[in-house]
Amino acid sequence: MTLALIAALPFLGALLPGLMIRAGRDACAALTGSVTLLALCLLALQAPTVLAGGIVQTRIDWLPALGLNATFFLDGLGLLFAGLILGIGLLIILYARFYLAKSDPMGQFYSYLMLFQGAMVGIVLSDNILLLLIFWELTSLSSFLLIGYWKHLPEGRQGARMALAVTGGGGLAMIAGMLILGNIAGSYDLTVILTQKEAIQASPWYLPALILILLGAFTKSAQFPFHFWLPHAMAAPTPVSAYLHSATMVKAGLFLMARLWPVLAGTPEWFWIVSTAGLVTMVMAAKIAFFKDDLKALLAFSTVSHLGLITMLLGFGTRAAATVAVFHIINHATFKAALFMTAGIVDHEAHTRDIKRLGGLRTLMPITFGIALLASLSMAGIPPLNGFLSKELMLEEAAHTTWITPWAMGVLATIAALFSVAYSFRFLAHGFLGPVRDDYPHTPHDPGPGLWGAPAFLVVLVVVIGLFPMASAAWLVNAAASAVTGETVAVKITHWHGLQAVALWMSVAAVGGGLMMLGAFGPLRAIWDATPRPEAKRIFDGIIEPLAALARSLTYALHNSSLSRAIAVAVLAIAGAGLWAFTGGGHVPGTRALMPVEPLVAVVWAVMLAAALAVPFLHRVRVVALVFVGVVGLLLVPFFVLMSAPDLALTQLSVEVVTILLMLLALNFLPKTTPEESPAPRRLFDAGVAGIAGAGIGWLAWEMLTRQAAFPPISHFHLAQSKPGAGGTNVVNTILVDFRGYDTFGEIIVLGIAALAIYALSENLLRSPAVTRRLAETRPEREAGDRHPMMLVVSTRLLLPMAMMVGVYIYLRGHNMPGGGFVAGLVFAIAYLMQYMASGYVWSHSRQRFDHHVLIGWGVLIATLSGAGAWAFGLPFLTSGFEYVHLWPLEEFELATAAIFDLGVFLCVLGAVLLALASLSRLAQRTGEVVNTRAYDTEAPQETR
Amino acid sequence: MTSADFRILLPEILLSGYAMAALMAAVYTTRDKLAATLVWATAGLFVALALYIGAAGVGERTVFNGLFVDDPFARFAKVTILLSAAAVLVMSQDYMYRRDLLRFEYPILVTLAVVGMMVMVSSADLITLYMGLELQSLSLYVVASIRRDSAKSSEAGLKYFVLGALSSGLLLYGASLVYGYAGTTQFAGILTTVQAGVPLGLLFGLVFMLAGLAFKVSAAPFHMWTPDVYEGSPTPVTAFFATAPKVAAMALIARLVQDAFGGIPGQWGQVLAALAVASMFLGAVAAIGQRDIKRLMAYSSIAHMGYALIGLCVGTAYGVQATMIYMAIYVTMNVGTFAFILSMERDGRPVSDIAGLNQFARKEPLKALAMLVLLFSLAGVPPMVGFFGKFYVLKAAVDAGWVWLAVAGAVASVIGAFYYLRLVYFMYFGAEQDPVDSRMAPVQWGMLVAVAAIMLLGIVNLFGIEGPAALAAQALVR
Repeated sequence: MTLALIAALPFLGALLPGLMIRAGRDACAALTGSVTLLALCLLALQAPTVLAGGIVQTRIDWLPALGLNATFFLDGLGLLFAGLILGIGLLIILYARFYLAKSDPMGQFYSYLMLFQGAMVGIVLSDNILLLLIFWELTSLSSFLLIGYWKHLPEGRQGARMALAVTGGGGLAMIAGMLILGNIAGSYDLTVILTQKEAIQASPWYLPALILILLGAFTKSAQFPFHFWLPHAMAAPTPVSAYLHSATMVKAGLFLMARLWPVLAGTPEWFWIVSTAGLVTMVMAAKIAFFKDDLKALLAFSTVSHLGLITMLLGFGTRAAATVAVFHIINHATFKAALFMTAGIVDHEAHTRDIKRLGGLRTLMPITFGIALLASLSMAGIPPLNGFLSKELMLEEAAHTTWITPWAMGVLATIAALFSVAYSFRFLAHGFLGPVRDDYPHTPHDPGPGLWGAPAFLVVLVVVIGLFPMASAAWLVNAAASAVTGETVAVKITHWHGLQAVALWMSVAAVGGGLMMLGAFGPLRAIWDATPRPEAKRIFDGIIEPLAALARSLTYALHNSSLSRAIAVAVLAIAGAGLWAFTGGGHVPGTRALMPVEPLVAVVWAVMLAAALAVPFLHRVRVVALVFVGVVGLLLVPFFVLMSAPDLALTQLSVEVVTILLMLLALNFLPKTTPEESPAPRRLFDAGVAGIAGAGIGWLAWEMLTRQAAFPPISHFHLAQSKPGAGGTNVVNTILVDFRGYDTFGEIIVLGIAALAIYALSENLLRSPAVTRRLAETRPEREAGDRHPMMLVVSTRLLLPMAMMVGVYIYLRGHNMPGGGFVAGLVFAIAYLMQYMASGYVWSHSRQRFDHHVLIGWGVLIATLSGAGAWAFGLPFLTSGFEYVHLWPLEEFELATAAIFDLGVFLCVLGAVLLALASLSRLAQRTGEVVNTRAYDTEAPQETR
Repeated sequence: MTSADFRILLPEILLSGYAMAALMAAVYTTRDKLAATLVWATAGLFVALALYIGAAGVGERTVFNGLFVDDPFARFAKVTILLSAAAVLVMSQDYMYRRDLLRFEYPILVTLAVVGMMVMVSSADLITLYMGLELQSLSLYVVASIRRDSAKSSEAGLKYFVLGALSSGLLLYGASLVYGYAGTTQFAGILTTVQAGVPLGLLFGLVFMLAGLAFKVSAAPFHMWTPDVYEGSPTPVTAFFATAPKVAAMALIARLVQDAFGGIPGQWGQVLAALAVASMFLGAVAAIGQRDIKRLMAYSSIAHMGYALIGLCVGTAYGVQATMIYMAIYVTMNVGTFAFILSMERDGRPVSDIAGLNQFARKEPLKALAMLVLLFSLAGVPPMVGFFGKFYVLKAAVDAGWVWLAVAGAVASVIGAFYYLRLVYFMYFGAEQDPVDSRMAPVQWGMLVAVAAIMLLGIVNLFGIEGPAALAAQALVR
């Protein structure tokens, strides 16, 4: 449990500062520090076990289904990192107490800091890689809050954004890598994964996993090509920079590489990717650091360079190199944190970090200078300080590693070391040496021990490790390196490797060259300024902006809010899906023989086709288009007749007539022509899309029709059961009113609702004055002189009773012969329609003494009652009964409850059509159409309603 | 049809009855004055029913001759639907009232849509499926254009209707093909047929049905309506669109592919995987260029549907569990996010331009922090709960051998993180300008903060939804 407690303590500590800030800044800092100290003590208690080669483990089941468990383990590597994080954390807390101004919200700062600390400790103690991942991203998050702590500084913003985008994105990529790793190893526990080297490296998914994980590590540790964010994150308060960007967060990537070193390292892929990235980072960042004027920027690039160094060492994949890497992690943390704090002190005292405005601080700030001197000498790799020790070992390793050519690595490493010497000395020489100036923004002097205490302690470490490496650091290096490599390591660190050691001469060259570079700073600077160089932020923007622009243009091309484009995309996608389905399944051509095509049928078919094609071509003139639509609809009728479906033919005929008539009436209120919406190429494209859709459906239908159905058709059942089951010989009608009566029942209700909706819509339109205005504008054209020709009026009046008789006849015969309530209703409706057209709406309507709504209502009611009647006989709803009756002088005839139901259908249909007609007529009157109260209006119009 | 059948269907019947009674009551009494009461009553009823379904439901029963099934999967989906719908309803009341949008039809239409969704997730038959789907869709068409005096809202409704009708037609066409080759509309019967072999016509039917359903979850390339409808509809409606209907449609896809086509995961797995990849990438890439937060959320939802589909396409029980957890987390996040979007206004008028978020943190630190948590969660950044959802589906994919899909998902999430983080960046470090006002009703504020807290506290045990989700998945995948 101790480990879980160590990881949890900082999080608990994060709550305290917020609560305690009222007690004063000192109390707040002391409390925060004591929490960290407690964690550090707990860690120290575990140290003996770990140093003896043991492993401390804690396991708490969390979300087992996800493979996510709160398991922690502590080995040498964990101990090293946890010690660094907590130890330097403690110093930072002390430092920050004196660094932050009174106006800064300190409680908030400490909360964020502890949050971050907890996340870091979590990373290094996690046994479960998913847990590690969570802590990993938590560091991104809390560092974002810390970097953005000074919200009022505009330059901080871009930095925070970039840091978050790069490290957060890398972390997300790592999720996939971790998943793959866990899947190969069969467990998400590091202790298990670390034993699976063979399985992991043999897996085909090794390379993707490696790349994804390295993406996370490289972005976090600011390795090339993701190095650009780190220097821009330096706008944060210096304690943050010192903590995050020297000692902890950026080392998380290194930690991960070290942690997974046993299973990932040793392959050529690992070597080439990791060591190359490290080498490039090391050299490039060192060069940039030399030319930076901002103290923190200089240190930031130097950090990047040193991180590159460690990455490179890990990338070598050898045990010795990994050991050196571990050693350098310790050394870098000590001197770099001290340097950052020194830079912070300078900033705090002189109110500037610009090296060009500094110089001569040596006499003004002697203590600070002493600290800076030792730390930067260590950074430069001057003996006997600790930086020298690890640098020598690094050069030795580099000199013996073949990278492209046997000597390239050595040379480049020496160059990096040379740059490193140069910028370290520049930090000292331009910052502290030289004459005292009189134009500092604020006259600097040494601060109190609160500020310099922390860096001083670190510098003591620098010196002690430098002088007595074996006594002071070797044990920790041994433990950590053993954990990294998985084998027991006994390191031997000495200052003197003999004259024959290559590293010595590389070092000498580096120091000499570095001093020469510093001497030639002026001209070099001129060259540097003259050469164009990639600027990180510009590159970042340069990459992000075009990508964002590309995304934007892609989006606008795809989503321009045009409905037709949306439909085109959908149709093409569906066509593609259909094609995929077709090619995916085993297709066999249909076997069903085709029917012979008679010439007459072919002619009808051709006319229908021509009419259908005419519609899109002529659709701009709407009346003409409607005529062709009517032609297509009517030509369907003979096909139904041909296929022995007189019922359908009858229905089709009447429905077609009614709809065309109603649409003709509706056209009155619409523009006569459709404007041209799109240019010709667009229309051509649309035609193509439509063609694809039509061809696809047609072809699908063809495929279906040319083969036998998968199941025998249901028609046999109905043919056999129509008479005995429902008492009718007209199968279509018995299906409608009996077998599928329930469907019909639903349909007439829908029909009624549709008619009511038309009515409601037109009522609403009539209420709006704007609509009335627009309606009035739709009647510009000249009217025919004789709106109600006498011939028409007379003939329709004569026809009316006959038409109605036909309707009744059709209704009555429906059960056994083609016909039925539906068709009868339509026939009635047509008869009425003719009256309206011939004699005018008002005249006809005044002679019609029932309300259309009521018709629909009665229809539904009758149908319902006829269905409910079955309940009286204990039968389910809509069970029909029939009886044969013999009544003289008539022949024997049949009485069926279905006929009552059919009456309901009839009334509904009639009511619906008439209601639609009434709605349209009301609209027409609103447009200013004159109405007649008498039969024909040969005289002038009488009144306007 | 026995009384036991009706007892199973009780929540649906109750809701339908309530909707009709409320409609009549409002029409014949004070109409819109009743709207606020109706909103709260409806939300209360939703919550009560969710509790009832969650607590009283046991086992697995198929009723009405195999038309309707009540199993842990349906119950899980129903509870999610009901709770999210209730949350969105109460959240929107204040917004709609102040903008004179609060019509009494609104809660009633939402109720009917919810009934449709409940039928959808319980369907065991193509007919039931279609009935539920259409009831839902028809209600949503109307809700989308509820603001009739706004051209944008009307346009949104019309577009949604036209494309929705197209998708419905497609779905029906597919369903009829399936029926033609399986000889039955019942899922169980279809399953028996496909286990014996898959005729080409059946495959066509499957593909068309999936395409139709992809419209409903707005998976690319059938997503085209989403940005326009999200942007055009009034924000409360957008919030509703982004939550419950998505759960229902996703659950319906799961139901269809597992219950009816469970024997041929190879066939639909590829279709769903293609949809998933297209959605994830399109959602992530297209969101980058957005300036309107509602449009951005539209693309965000497209991407999220892609992730949810990953869990389905792998075809395992674990995958279904992952999808259900993902959806539950997704709706929770969206409720919180929309609680905030609803509050964005300037001079009393709603705004949705993301430039208005600049420097928002300085003005309202707490709300900004809550949004930060939500946006990180939406991006899938650990340790927010959103990460667990994403991780679940990715893990399901990897475990089932779809490693490439998981990698694609991770890559898309990196792209997607960009725009979520950009919003955070605007809030904390954006250009110096006057940020939007954020006027919140107590309910909205409560939702925002509660959801943000859930996103953080959920890491303890995801509030225990794992168990029910696993149960649901096992009920579905056999």
